[in-house]
Amino acid sequence: MSLFRLFLLFVKIGAILLGGGYVILPVMKSEFVEKHKLISEDDLINYFAISQSLPGIIAANISIFVGYKLRRTIGAIAAVIGVTFAPFWSIVLLASIISKYLHTDIMQGIFWGVGIGVMVLMVSATREMWAKAFEDKFAYLIFAAGLGIMLFTNLSPVIVVISSAALGVLYKKLVSGRAKE
Amino acid sequence: MIFVHLFYEFFKIGLFSFGGGYATIPFLYHIGEVYGWFSAADLERMIAIASVTPGPVGVNMATYTGLTSGGIIGSLIATTAITIPSLILIVIISKILKKFKENFYVKAIIYGLKPASCALLASVALQMIISKAADIYTMVIFIVFLIISFLTKKDPLFYLGITGLIGLILKLSHTI
Repeated sequence: MSLFRLFLLFVKIGAILLGGGYVILPVMKSEFVEKHKLISEDDLINYFAISQSLPGIIAANISIFVGYKLRRTIGAIAAVIGVTFAPFWSIVLLASIISKYLHTDIMQGIFWGVGIGVMVLMVSATREMWAKAFEDKFAYLIFAAGLGIMLFTNLSPVIVVISSAALGVLYKKLVSGRAKE
Repeated sequence: MIFVHLFYEFFKIGLFSFGGGYATIPFLYHIGEVYGWFSAADLERMIAIASVTPGPVGVNMATYTGLTSGGIIGSLIATTAITIPSLILIVIISKILKKFKENFYVKAIIYGLKPASCALLASVALQMIISKAADIYTMVIFIVFLIISFLTKKDPLFYLGITGLIGLILKLSHTI
């Protein structure tokens, strides 16, 4: 597959994905595994699983994996530019329209209401993460500490991420050390 | 100078946000507070627009925030910067793919990151709710849709579409 066709395929994927996470796997499966037979289903499921535990945007991560598998580093770059292409331009277009009409009563009303919808979405997203977040009791402690830091200090989320990763390693070391004794 | 800051901040988000599209929001919330590029209300609009526009929410958020704070070049820088850590990490990981998932440190780090990412998102959700708790209309609508969200799983478009419509009606009837 030529680099340009690879790019175009990812432009299409980026344009299809609406609202994030839920549809990534079925869309990529139909495009890469079934239609074009570029990678195996096992590969895709593997990429999907690892992409979720990597930082960054999950859809971009999977695209980078597939692009790298097909054409190495240059393929990975083409894939990530491709998958961000449609969302990028649709946002640029939409934002310029919205900013023009933002002061009107109609827009003010819509965004007043949508602000409430966003709160519901935030709670839903939190619940979704909550369902998969806790392996044992110590994990609840990490949650509580993280929440406390975010609510009551002005520290960056980066601090919470780094220290919870370090805590995870320390705790697992301790547990596996005890198991050996 | 804003472009350097934009690149630096979005690179950090790309490196430290775990758990998909909405995981970028706590970082953006913090950036808004520190740099003053956008307000909490701006961020809510961005989340709404990112949720109903084609493409991964994380990319949309980066593009929109970049655009608001640094114009079209800003959005290009933000979108590029947020994906660069992934690009570097995955090119490295692809070579040791099989060992990656079983690695002790990878598993231990993820063990710590899962509750932490959840805490980050929960803190933004709470702050949003607290900031609007005094408004009776907001709270009534919020609680109704929250109950709906507990009962059934619906597309983001459903919540944003209907709450947007309610907002429009209330505004045009001069209730709010």
